[in-house]
Amino acid sequence: MKKSLGLTLSVLLLAATTACSGGNNGKPAAAGNSGGAGAADQVELRIMWWGDQKRADKTNEALRAFESKHPNIKVVGEFAPNSGYFDKLNTQLASGTAPDVFFLGGNVTDYAAKSVLLDLQPYVGQELDLTDMDQTMVEYGTLGGKLVHISAGANARGMVLNTELFKKAGMEVPADGWSWEDYARISKEISDKLGKGYYGTYNFTVEGMDIYMKQRGKQVYDMEKDALGFGQQDAEEWFNYWYGITKNGGMVTPSLQVSNPPGDTSKSLVVTGKVAMSLIPSNQFAAHQNLTQDKLTMIQVPRGPKGTGVVFESSQGLSGYAKTKHPKEVAELMNFWINDPDAAQILGSDRGVPVTSKMRDLLMKEATPLEQTVYDFTSRVSEATKKEPFAVSYNPPNFTEFTKLAETAVQEIGFEQKDVKQGVEDFYTGATQLFGAK
Amino acid sequence: MKTAHRSAMWRRSGTAYLFLLPWLIGFFGLTLGPMLGSLYLSLTKYDLLNAPRWLGLNNYRHIFTADEYFYKSLTVTFKYVLFSVPLKMAFALLVAIVLNKGIRALGIYRTVYYIPSLLGGSVAIAIVWRQIFDGEGLINHFLAWFGIEGPSWIAHPSYILSTIVTLSVWQFGSAMVIFLAGIKQIPADLYEAAQVDGAGKLRQFGRITLPMLSPVIFFNLVMGIINSFQVFTPGYVIGDGRGGPVNSTLFYTLYLYLKGFSFFDMGYAAALAWIMLIIIGLFTSIVFVTSKFWVFYGDGKDGR
Repeated sequence: MKKSLGLTLSVLLLAATTACSGGNNGKPAAAGNSGGAGAADQVELRIMWWGDQKRADKTNEALRAFESKHPNIKVVGEFAPNSGYFDKLNTQLASGTAPDVFFLGGNVTDYAAKSVLLDLQPYVGQELDLTDMDQTMVEYGTLGGKLVHISAGANARGMVLNTELFKKAGMEVPADGWSWEDYARISKEISDKLGKGYYGTYNFTVEGMDIYMKQRGKQVYDMEKDALGFGQQDAEEWFNYWYGITKNGGMVTPSLQVSNPPGDTSKSLVVTGKVAMSLIPSNQFAAHQNLTQDKLTMIQVPRGPKGTGVVFESSQGLSGYAKTKHPKEVAELMNFWINDPDAAQILGSDRGVPVTSKMRDLLMKEATPLEQTVYDFTSRVSEATKKEPFAVSYNPPNFTEFTKLAETAVQEIGFEQKDVKQGVEDFYTGATQLFGAK
Repeated sequence: MKTAHRSAMWRRSGTAYLFLLPWLIGFFGLTLGPMLGSLYLSLTKYDLLNAPRWLGLNNYRHIFTADEYFYKSLTVTFKYVLFSVPLKMAFALLVAIVLNKGIRALGIYRTVYYIPSLLGGSVAIAIVWRQIFDGEGLINHFLAWFGIEGPSWIAHPSYILSTIVTLSVWQFGSAMVIFLAGIKQIPADLYEAAQVDGAGKLRQFGRITLPMLSPVIFFNLVMGIINSFQVFTPGYVIGDGRGGPVNSTLFYTLYLYLKGFSFFDMGYAAALAWIMLIIIGLFTSIVFVTSKFWVFYGDGKDGR
């Protein structure tokens, strides 16, 4: 209590990182020398990612494979759970001790705007081969005219359904092409039929907001104008929709949503068979299914006027630290990540489907039935976006603060401290100020 | 004569400074620099990654005039201090009195009750607390025996703060040990005299124990206030780490941490930290100023 957790952690980290850099003389590798074993200067890279132990094991295995192919490079991995990852990264960036390579998600814009990311353009075609990478993914990683982000996997968001609960309720498992009205109705029906302690859906007002806006030709963040891309009225409709499901009993109680958040797979009530439906990114499907005997499946999100609003997009990717002493090796590591068959086989689709077509084909050939479910789903999304295309979107700047505002509004409405109108008004005012202030 | 007096003075205070030396080295070598640095940062816009930009008093102005979360986090923190400090002290005093009744193996009890104080601030205990007070946790299983359906104590904005206060009360050990030492210092003849005069137990407690303990109470109160204002870990771990549900765990230090490390506004966070320092200083000095009315020093300094 006397010392805050975060501060203690960062002090420990600082100690650890200085210890690391002490062992490495910080000499850049001599070019063209890497072939001669022993003669080459040793280079040490640090890489950081978020996720669970399982992901860490796989990632470390891939890093060892990289080391065996590049004997002059040693890679030290660090990881943190989702919740603390970005605080940790921010602290390290501030003190100038950030890892050479780190993972970023949709918030890559925040970091690109603060110019802490390495421009990878000089290495393209040399250490970094992008010929086989999806063009949209290359564009996604190009911000402000610089290539600063290499996607490590693509995914599409969709609904995860616990089919066991549908069976128990004697209901048919829904299919693609349903509407939001269907969704509300089915949620209520499941709750009613299964009785106390069972619910139709999680509340994903915040996570699904951008999808809903896109379905109506709007967006959460208008990058060109650097402003919100939706009006207060739009937000109110969306919040009202969820309030309706809360009222008719189709949704988990706000308390359960807090104690068993859908984002925490180990606690998710979809996994424990208490909630029938939720919104997840497709790369999370395996993590869910692996924790339960109930058969889960994925279908597309309910449709709005313009379609589903979901595109196949980067789930997360690698960025280099602008101050790294070994930019060339950083590029080599990224190249290994997206182009090397060994890497693809070790990493699988834990961070999403591979972004290079050769690796994708390789994994699909050997897909387990579980992975097959995910590929089926993502290919249906790809097909749908051919007919109804949507632009890939970026998170608004200060996304953490934006999310906090939105989640507070959802909870205030859920715990009945504010009505929908008031809650949305406060959220919208706060969100608008985020753009004014910075 | 004068020099002899001075050297005696110096010898006495010199010893004191010698004992203070580790703290002084720590303060001047480690703490002072960052403190001044944060004072400077509090006057700037600093997003952690780009150089600070001078703002003057704008951060402070914004905090007092336009920051809803500032007032919310203050309210939550004050509530916490208001409940946890008196409860913890009362509990510590109670246990100290019971232990003073000459229980066998006092050493063991003292150690056992002291352990929570050592562990209480840790993340692990906060996680255990989460499990105990969860919707399907121990407490609710216990309540279910009596047919009571308990709420999810850690997930409802109306209950979660009381869960965290319980955690702090549970760490009564260090205050208790100090009380126990204080009680042992009270001369037994005072009680004997009171007994002869026919004073009951309650009266003895009110007229002898409390006044004689008042310096210890004073010490525990000051330490308790300072520590409680800085509560962080339980809010971060038992809550969702973002102050939720509905800002009910948004302790002042947690808000400061979020501003600085998650929302990229370290200048603002530094300003918040300085305001906290002033608030804690204010409360501590209130206790100090009022202490002359209620703290009784048996060494006769106050002329009695």
